[in-house]
Amino acid sequence: MNSPVTSIKLVLLGEAAVGKSSIVLRFVSNDFSENKEPTIGAAFLTQRVNMGDHTIKFEIWDTAGQERFASLAPMYYRNAQAALVVYDVTKPQSFIKARHWVKELHEQASKDIVIALVGNKLDMIEAGAERKVAREEAENLAQEENLLFFETSAKTGDNVNEVFLGIGQKIPLKTAQNQAQNGGRGSSGLRVNDDSRVDLRSGNQSTSAGGCNC
Amino acid sequence: MSFFDTLRQKAASVKFLERLTDSSEPLSRDQKFRLLHKLPQEEYIVDDTNADISVIQPGRRVRNTNGSSEGPNANNATYVYSGRLYLTPHYLVFKDSFDTTSCSFTISLSTVRKVERAASSSYATSLSLTLHCQTRIAIQFIGLRNRTELFCQQLKKALLENVPNTKRLLPFLDTCYSEYLISKNVLNKSDARPPPSGLGQKYKYPGELSKEKPKLKLWFDYFQDQGRNLTLVKKSLFYKLIRVGIPNRLRGEIWEVCSGSMYSRFANPEEYRTLLESNAGKESRAIEEIEKDLNRSLPEYAAYQDETGISRLRNVLTAYSWKNPDVGYCQAMNILVAGLLIFMTEEQAFWCLVSICDNYVPGYYSRTMYGTLLDQKVFESFVEQKMPVMWDHIVEHDIQLSVVSLPWFLSLFFTAMPLPFAFRIMDLFLLNGPNALFQVALGVLKVNGEELLEVDDDGMFIAILKSYFHTLEQSAHPDSTDPRIKQITKFQELLVVSFKEFSSISVQMVEQQRARFSKDIQHNIESFAKRTQLRNLPQVRNLTQDQLSNIYDLFYHCIESHKISMGTGSSCLDFEAFIQFLSSFCDWCKPGTSDHIPRFRKQKRDFLKRVFLQWDRASAGELTLSDVAIGLDRLLSPDIMSTMNSFFAFFTEPGVDETSGEGILQISEALLFLTDAWKSGRIVDQLTKQSIIDDIADTIIEENSSQGIAISDLELPTGVTIDEEKYKQEQAERYLRAASSFLQRSFEYARASESKEEIDLLDLSDDEGHTSEHKKKKWESLKANAALNPEKRSVMNVATFRMIILADETYETFFAQTLRNSIHVDEKVANLDGRENGLRNMFDGLLADGKRVASQVRRRVDSVATRTSASSGSALETSENQDEIDDFSTGHTYEHDDLLKNDLISMDDDDKEQDQSEPQRKKLENFSFTEHLDARDDSFVEFEA
Repeated sequence: MNSPVTSIKLVLLGEAAVGKSSIVLRFVSNDFSENKEPTIGAAFLTQRVNMGDHTIKFEIWDTAGQERFASLAPMYYRNAQAALVVYDVTKPQSFIKARHWVKELHEQASKDIVIALVGNKLDMIEAGAERKVAREEAENLAQEENLLFFETSAKTGDNVNEVFLGIGQKIPLKTAQNQAQNGGRGSSGLRVNDDSRVDLRSGNQSTSAGGCNC
Repeated sequence: MSFFDTLRQKAASVKFLERLTDSSEPLSRDQKFRLLHKLPQEEYIVDDTNADISVIQPGRRVRNTNGSSEGPNANNATYVYSGRLYLTPHYLVFKDSFDTTSCSFTISLSTVRKVERAASSSYATSLSLTLHCQTRIAIQFIGLRNRTELFCQQLKKALLENVPNTKRLLPFLDTCYSEYLISKNVLNKSDARPPPSGLGQKYKYPGELSKEKPKLKLWFDYFQDQGRNLTLVKKSLFYKLIRVGIPNRLRGEIWEVCSGSMYSRFANPEEYRTLLESNAGKESRAIEEIEKDLNRSLPEYAAYQDETGISRLRNVLTAYSWKNPDVGYCQAMNILVAGLLIFMTEEQAFWCLVSICDNYVPGYYSRTMYGTLLDQKVFESFVEQKMPVMWDHIVEHDIQLSVVSLPWFLSLFFTAMPLPFAFRIMDLFLLNGPNALFQVALGVLKVNGEELLEVDDDGMFIAILKSYFHTLEQSAHPDSTDPRIKQITKFQELLVVSFKEFSSISVQMVEQQRARFSKDIQHNIESFAKRTQLRNLPQVRNLTQDQLSNIYDLFYHCIESHKISMGTGSSCLDFEAFIQFLSSFCDWCKPGTSDHIPRFRKQKRDFLKRVFLQWDRASAGELTLSDVAIGLDRLLSPDIMSTMNSFFAFFTEPGVDETSGEGILQISEALLFLTDAWKSGRIVDQLTKQSIIDDIADTIIEENSSQGIAISDLELPTGVTIDEEKYKQEQAERYLRAASSFLQRSFEYARASESKEEIDLLDLSDDEGHTSEHKKKKWESLKANAALNPEKRSVMNVATFRMIILADETYETFFAQTLRNSIHVDEKVANLDGRENGLRNMFDGLLADGKRVASQVRRRVDSVATRTSASSGSALETSENQDEIDDFSTGHTYEHDDLLKNDLISMDDDDKEQDQSEPQRKKLENFSFTEHLDARDDSFVEFEA
């Protein structure tokens, strides 16, 4: 309990039924369910991860994937420090969609948002389904756009925790603490609560990470 | 602070056209009436009148007279309600004028068995209607007798017209549970079977309560007294019975009555089946999406774990997606329909869904979900009004309320509350209207107010409310010593708070607020849609982001049927819309006088069709925004070679880089069409412009050479008139010459596939002696010769084409800049209101500005190497100069032939008043972008500055 707790707002984006909610369910409850109700609007979950010298509390916004919900996405990725852009390795269309999300995030979300590109449903390939999104293609995208990249299976749990650990490592704790000192209500930035939780709210509806000079 | 502000902020830079009038148009009286009474689309007010109504129950209440004389004297057991009576083609509708819940009805005319003129004590007309269920409605008309008589006649007519419909009545009533209750308990039919109903019949109702039987009994009594289904009279007891919770077995039917979906189902008995049958086996995006979610809809309910429930769900969702393709399928509908199907048959659930989507929450499930977004804004405004402390807290801590509340509204609380409670909310929602959602949502915030005020982020809001929703069945006052108070559940408490404290939130208020924010929301969505679409366009080389943004506006401007924010209609251009699209910003496609000439019209359509087909990459018969962007991008290349290549490609098959003799003719026809605007003098090209500038400069220099004025003192004359006819003539001649030499050269240089036969190719361009009329005729015959001669089969490849174009200065300039400058992708939609870039405007622009000419003069003067730098030559006299400028056109006499006058000249005189201003300047700036005239670049910079 002595280790400081940092909150990270993380948003999941991606086409419908690529397994966003399943990745979250695996990460949060180490569970899997074949028939999950589609997410309406967005679901909110939290999970703490011990990073050794500090603890990260992930505040996870799991969004609806259907195309028409895309116009709601900005209210979820607003002020997010991290995003998982998920696609299905057996569905090329979902990878195109993932490209769009990456573009949108770079354009509209906080400037220093950490994005992880996640190809899910690896288990289906092991079960004989044909891979439709080449690993290299995704790696290229990740490199061009400076993304973390993982291939996962929410069903088997393969590589899921690594995604969140990777994000936790990439978001520098220092930055968070510095911001915590500087950032006040009025400016966008981070703020430490009484319970030493870092608050990500910004005073105004700023989408740029104005308080961060790194 | 809120999502909308975020959106707005991001969209702030993008100005969008106002195109959304239809949603803000006030509703007609009939529309309002239909909405209020939840009547189908085909109903309208035939007539209406004031009336006193009493409902006379069959038998039961008059048993003191042994049921033998249940005549008018039964009146004394009934109340009389004053109100307004409406007649529609299929219904008789009444609404009391007291509070509209004391007595109202919507009675199907098909249920009327008998109409009598009742004996009336007063002078007024009275009617007595005997209904199918034996209830009698006594109507005493109030008002002038002749008005009343007219109403009666209309009623009679409507009744007669409804006679054929009565055949449908009995089979329809067999689907109503209320009729089953009556036949079993009143008519004592032991063989009565409950009608087919929802999945609950077999799979149990979630959270079935023990009070089902007494509740059913109350409803049974009500049905006997006040009619049922299509004859139901709604009195205050009706509302009360719903507030305490509808018994599960009756829920489906009451939902149908409340939502009005029963009327649609009765009116369209075949539609549901037909929708499914006629679309069987078809595929669509919606169907794909539905399939993904079938296993994910209330998966905890037994029926949805096997095919019974799944197939019903599939059918209803699919049928709706065909009924309303603009909406298709939206996640959350699956959960709603899964809920409906527990109490309703497929057909009933289908019509109920239609009613909810159309009347209660319009736009919730549309492709842009504008209704959902709108209601979030409305909800925020209610919180601000009704719960100022909470609102301050939300604002202060920058909490996004919609993140919390949106799923409640979108799923009508089905995903928020445990099912039995969600059904209760549904009861009240369908009974009262969309305001119920707001009332409950406000109630939720209110009840949890204290806890919510202690946390400061939306995530915590969600967490608190989630646990609240899951304890709704618990006591609201667990510590109370009074067992009666202790008994009150949190859910009951919520209902009281919602509908008592927030009773002022009426349907009208919701409508008002929706209307208030509708523009904002639509604007936000349009900006969002635009940004997203532009971001996802394929890479283009020659178009800037601003230009793409303009193209986007122009594109959607031409798709009249398409409402971006509503997500309805097609978002592609068909051929006709494509022509309109091009004509909105391409000079050569704008409607002109030449459109009256059949041949020109054909040239135009032929060429545009080629463009259309080539741009239609998917061969879909319509163009997407991407198609258009890519196509325009190619056409707007600053490189003359690639512009020529792109043009030539319109006339070749893919993969073939040459075209036949027929193709050559088509190219020349296309060029005739494309250059018509210049030929007819509607627009001037760079060459003409240059010659005008030269002429003016010459004149000025000539004027002043003796006086030797310093350049700095040089002023341009004002109010000069110029012989525009002369320049028009020259330009027209030039273009005609270019056309004929193009054709001539084409056949000259085209590679003959067989031995070339000599044909009489006249060099028309040198033929000074002939009028244009004559030339044109010759040109026609020349063309005919070359094309129709079967002996001559020639082919032209792109290199030859380019060579021929480059051989003619007019056409060269055309492909180098004229064409590009005539495509106004830099202009916003608002500016493109048909202004013509005619000669007159150009003169006005030139003279108003003057710098261009001045710098040309300066260059001339410099090149002549002026020797005298005289002291202070006075500025030019305006009047004197005017004469002089007029002068320089004299000496050139051109014969005006009739053809040119009538066909090619189309100068609109009123144009000159409009311009001088921005658009004109822009056009002039465009002109200055010329690679050819590098030497003058400096002066152009000056001009732009």
